[in-house]
Amino acid sequence: MHRRSSQLTIAAVAAILGVLVVIQLRSQAGPTGLAQLSSQDLTVLVANLNARNDQLRRETSLLQAELTTLQTNRSRGDASVDEITADLHRVRAYAGLDPVGGPGVAISIRGAIDGAGVEVLINELRNAGAEAISVGGVRVVTGVVITGAPGTSKVDGVALGVAFDLDAIGAPDKLTGSLTRSGGVIAQLAATQPDVEVTVTPMDRLELPATTRSLVPAHGRPRL
Amino acid sequence: MARLRAIPSWQITLGVALLALGFLIAAQLASEGPRVRYTTQERTPLVETANELQSQQDELKNTILQLRAQIQAVEGQGPGSADLVRQLNAELQDARIAAGLIALTGPGIVLQLEDSKAPVPPDGNQSDYLVGSRDIRTVVEQLWGAGAEAIAVNGERITPTSAIIDVGSSLLVNSAYLTPPYQVTALGPPALYDELGASPGFVDFVRARSEGYGIRVSLAEPDSVDMPAFVGTVTLRYSRPLASPSAGPSTAPSGTPGG
Repeated sequence: MHRRSSQLTIAAVAAILGVLVVIQLRSQAGPTGLAQLSSQDLTVLVANLNARNDQLRRETSLLQAELTTLQTNRSRGDASVDEITADLHRVRAYAGLDPVGGPGVAISIRGAIDGAGVEVLINELRNAGAEAISVGGVRVVTGVVITGAPGTSKVDGVALGVAFDLDAIGAPDKLTGSLTRSGGVIAQLAATQPDVEVTVTPMDRLELPATTRSLVPAHGRPRL
Repeated sequence: MARLRAIPSWQITLGVALLALGFLIAAQLASEGPRVRYTTQERTPLVETANELQSQQDELKNTILQLRAQIQAVEGQGPGSADLVRQLNAELQDARIAAGLIALTGPGIVLQLEDSKAPVPPDGNQSDYLVGSRDIRTVVEQLWGAGAEAIAVNGERITPTSAIIDVGSSLLVNSAYLTPPYQVTALGPPALYDELGASPGFVDFVRARSEGYGIRVSLAEPDSVDMPAFVGTVTLRYSRPLASPSAGPSTAPSGTPGG
């Protein structure tokens, strides 16, 4: 009798022990996930996820419509030249291979700014939904970086000097608001590079040049 | 001897087990510590919403990849495959590669950045010891400068519209939520590794972040790297293409294309 109750006790303790070991290991191996974010960060995350999902949904319906048209054309024996051309222009404009026009902001930069400062402005513009950006007349596409110490910053190897413009196409109010909000990038820039004057002007229409780069990687091939 | 025999072995087993139990409960409680800090009433629904949106995003991405593959297949099988259609399709394929819409494979390097394990001094700033958006942006800029032709961060392809921002101690790239360790994959010429290592900007970065704060930076040069495709919209809402001699085939059938 005594022996049986002791066995039961050991069994119960062993079971609890097992569960705790598993919980402990799981909680330590778990990814640094959402659990560590504050409510404020979670709100930012949810807003971003929502925005991206809306974009993805729009893209899905657009691609769906495109596919339907292409299939209808094919069944009729048409070559879908218009559809392929439209697709081509859409993709080329996005990549920066074609010049584009539209509303946005013209940012005048006066003073000895460094390359990293310009990159911070560009990142903020992209975060606010900028669709196309040019710096000193050079379209900023993948691979183009602004480098250099204050006053000697260069875009794609071309010196920017101490007076140049940064143009971005997108919603003018959203781009302006994002750059100029208190504690925003321009405020931070004013604190770290006080000699630099940054002025943001909303524009009804801007025209941005195409890139001169080919953008097709010479060292990669499509993965099948 | 007699004394020892007086303690039954099950009591020893039980004693050891209870001791272990005590340790585990203590460890469990201690590890719950930092998380309890954020537990507020509005948090749980936010986490659930974020998780739900994340899984929706994964589904949408899959749908887009499938649709793109189908569209490419149909476009490539134009009836008669006239010269014009062939030329258009070749240009479209190049444009898609340029825009980052095609997954690539080729030579390249992988940089991994991990949060510091060094203890934060009392007068130190904890965020200095974590990998932040600024670190990833610096690495991406340095890689472009060293000749990289395509870059992805934890599977998110860097495109002309990619922003890299902080959210808490994690990152948003293309509005996708990424957590450390961060792997920055770059495709480019075989000299990429050496070019990056020779860049004063990169050397300064490693010195400041790795030696200064214990951010762990490692560099690998595999035989080849896989570059994921950008899964997102390439439809511009505010920009319109301007007429350009380089846009489209010179033999365009009629009128001005696009619009």
